[in-house]
Amino acid sequence: MSPNEHDACACDEYNDLTSRRDFLAQSGGMTGAAMFTWAYPEWLPKVSFADSFAADRDVIVSVFLRGGADGLSLCAPFGDPLYYTGRPTIAIPRPDSSSASKGIALDNFFAIPQAMRFLQPAYQAGNLLVVHGAGLTYSTRSHFDAQHFMEVGKANDSSVNTGWLGRHLATTSPLKSGSSLRGIGFADGLVDTLKGGPRVLPITDPANYGLAGSTATRDARLAWLQSDYTGYLEPSKTAATDAINTINLLRTLNIAGYQPANGAVYPNTGLARGLRSSAALIKADIGVEAVHLDIGGWDTHTDQNPLTGGMANQMTQLSGALGAFWQDCIASGLSQNVTVVVLSEFGRNVRENGSRGTDHGRATAMFAMGRGIRGGRVLTDNWKPLAQENLADKQDLAVSIDYRDILGEIVQNRLGNTNLSTVFPGYVPAFRGVTK
Amino acid sequence: MSIASSDSSTCASSAPESSEREEGTPERAVVDARPSRRRFFEVGVSLAATVAAAGKAGAQQAKPPKKSASRDMVKRLLDQGTSREFDPFTKEPLNTQTGWDSTLTRLVRRVTNGVTEDELKLARKLGFTGYLNYHLNYTKIDDVATQGFVAQNYPYLTQAVEQIYNLDQRLVQNQLAESSLYRAAFSKRQLYERMVEFWSDHFNISWPQVLYLKLVDDREVIRRHALGKFSDLLKASAHSAAMLEYLDNTRNRRTTLNENYAREIMELHTMGADGGYTQTDVRELARVLTGWTIAGRGNFNFDPNGHDFGAKTVLGRTFPAMPTSSGIAAKTEGDQMIDVLVAHPSTAKYVSKKMLRWLLQYEPTAAQVTAVAAVYTKTSGDIPSMVRAVLSQGNFTAAAPKFKRPYTFVLSSLRALKPTVTRVAAVTGTYLTRLGQPMFYWDSPDGYPDSADYWAGGALQRWNFASYITTTSGEITMDISRFIAVNTPTGVADAINRELFGGDMPARLRGQLLTYLQVQPMPSQTLVREAIALALSSSTFQWI
Repeated sequence: MSPNEHDACACDEYNDLTSRRDFLAQSGGMTGAAMFTWAYPEWLPKVSFADSFAADRDVIVSVFLRGGADGLSLCAPFGDPLYYTGRPTIAIPRPDSSSASKGIALDNFFAIPQAMRFLQPAYQAGNLLVVHGAGLTYSTRSHFDAQHFMEVGKANDSSVNTGWLGRHLATTSPLKSGSSLRGIGFADGLVDTLKGGPRVLPITDPANYGLAGSTATRDARLAWLQSDYTGYLEPSKTAATDAINTINLLRTLNIAGYQPANGAVYPNTGLARGLRSSAALIKADIGVEAVHLDIGGWDTHTDQNPLTGGMANQMTQLSGALGAFWQDCIASGLSQNVTVVVLSEFGRNVRENGSRGTDHGRATAMFAMGRGIRGGRVLTDNWKPLAQENLADKQDLAVSIDYRDILGEIVQNRLGNTNLSTVFPGYVPAFRGVTK
Repeated sequence: MSIASSDSSTCASSAPESSEREEGTPERAVVDARPSRRRFFEVGVSLAATVAAAGKAGAQQAKPPKKSASRDMVKRLLDQGTSREFDPFTKEPLNTQTGWDSTLTRLVRRVTNGVTEDELKLARKLGFTGYLNYHLNYTKIDDVATQGFVAQNYPYLTQAVEQIYNLDQRLVQNQLAESSLYRAAFSKRQLYERMVEFWSDHFNISWPQVLYLKLVDDREVIRRHALGKFSDLLKASAHSAAMLEYLDNTRNRRTTLNENYAREIMELHTMGADGGYTQTDVRELARVLTGWTIAGRGNFNFDPNGHDFGAKTVLGRTFPAMPTSSGIAAKTEGDQMIDVLVAHPSTAKYVSKKMLRWLLQYEPTAAQVTAVAAVYTKTSGDIPSMVRAVLSQGNFTAAAPKFKRPYTFVLSSLRALKPTVTRVAAVTGTYLTRLGQPMFYWDSPDGYPDSADYWAGGALQRWNFASYITTTSGEITMDISRFIAVNTPTGVADAINRELFGGDMPARLRGQLLTYLQVQPMPSQTLVREAIALALSSSTFQWI
């Protein structure tokens, strides 16, 4: 009779859906196909997808793990016995243990759990960098503040409301001149990361982005809307113009028919579907140069279980999607010019709580992936044993690497934008040799 | 839910035409005070699941209004409205506040989920203050048609938690979502519904994480106190099984602290992130709230075995250690802390600013926040008094427009078109999902964003929804006859103005619609439907 019976029910459903965004991506995709059959007009000039993408600077794909992903599960410090002291029921077993769930060693100190195994090829190829002990130097345990501060690129400054990636776009010339879609966020609304960027739209499914109704009057109706929104209030005026231009752009693509390269197979998850569409957009070479995707469900206060349970499922989704994207876009012989970054707003307490979960902490692990990344290693700065005296507030992995150091170096060296004082106002990123 | 009634027109035509009434006659005046009732009924029937439901509601509809306090109240308001030449509050002449940018029309856009001709008439009759009072005294607004429809079609809403637990949760979800949409669109208590939406975001709980418990929270926390006292609302929420489960306080025990609820009750429900509490306060409040959990299928329970009886200090309030034999007496620590949070000056400011943002404008001034916070403090968080301070005439003068969220856009469209809906789940599920705001599905406890920037990018999804509900097929169909009674470009444009903008459509938009319609001297139904979709898609229709 305990409410736990229904807890289980709620959790199952929650896990099925994983997160609201995932749910949306799924249902959006399904209903989209059913409702507005976006027949590919044969008469239109088709834009073909290349096998790879090359440019004089990189396209960036930003992935945000919403909810505060536990860095000590994403990449476990198995070499520190205190890690096992703090995590009696939810630790990743040592790689030299006999457990079926044993970690996969990245070096002689850190290991990824089995659920992250799909990233092993990228790591071995030297394309994947793990940055541990990374995060916001400003201390907050609020999801919403931490996400907001991280995405806008400056903490606790209400005058900074646009996103770091949006400002990057605003301070560089378009990758392709005249492009009507420079940035895309796979979400229903525009995430903070992309705010302030020109030619940026939230699109849940680029394969189904067209005006419904009679094709005979479509152009007339689009013209009417263009005229109606001209001179009206922002931000809807710009958003409408961008939407109309993007409709006209995306109708030249057959994203649904996109064939991944190199034998890559994308899993059927929200993140993977988004990355698959991202790959198509990038290879179509239409000027898309910034992509943002979210994956929720990392707020693991209870029953975290990174081996076979909730967090294992999360990490399988993450690594499966990123692994397929790497194989499709980045692996040897493919694109030189795609860089992926993976962030989360904070990590979690070193010690597990009484619900076999973890509460909000400070530093976590972040990732960077690409041919231009000096990967195949775990980057740390003055990593210390997880003894209480070394921990932030005596309970958390301290932030030893400002996440902006990593992003700043990528923005300058891979995205070719030297306006770092605008992208990260009030901060001078310390370059740590993460790019080639 | 599959049968659309064909009886709606019959029933509707049996209701008295409001235009026939005699000015100032009390009995008639009541009818006139709710002139849109017939229309709502028509829509109600359209949305109805069965013909039987329609017949029953129709019978209710034909009855003359009962003698009641509500009628007297409305009569007083009406007498006020008709007996004065000028609105005492705005000093503007009554009945002349017309035009999309007039104060009254803007007030109606803030107070309702979409203007209708009838609602605008009512506002002009009652004046600024009278109209606001009418909506704030929401229990006096006769809403029997909506209540009857909801009771008839959504019986799960009133069932005990033990019963709902045993039901198919998908059906429970549908009943909650569909009834909420119906009420938000067609209840005459529009301001109340706006506040229900506001508090549903403020105390956000996402359906998948708690299932049936969300329905109970909606009923016993949000709807019970939406226009009551903030302190009652917060207390009810803190005792809500759904909230305690959603924010993990059911797992917050003496030996195994879980800070989630303790943090969010301060950060999101009361003081705000800048409210002046520390991480130590979060931890100490979590200790205070140990043992606040659920019993049975979802009843509040204080479990002394899980409670931390040690000494604690939260926000300067100290709680000495208690003997474990104190048992349930230790619950008073949490009760006291809720009182502390309610009385905290940061709470007054945070809740006031958020309410200003919701009802008035995105960036309220510091002076506005101070003024509403003073009302909060003076009235111990009386929500109607706060709303009155938020929606003051002075505030309206310079208030910038707000961008409709997808849910509001859908509600406005439904209120304007009054379509037949054969499957409400197509709206609550499919369409609101595609628009980005599926009901009760925001995962994190901060609620759906109240921000133009966040939602503006969804323009195409709105245009496609407009296209969808104006076509002749699918789960939503509209009766086009009201739009083509005068089948000329001008006649159609006038009808669109009347039905979608209450007669206050900006001239520029009217001109553009005429341009689209004038390609045919007698616009075809296809062209008219497209013009209606364009009007719903227009920039003007997206803003309040």
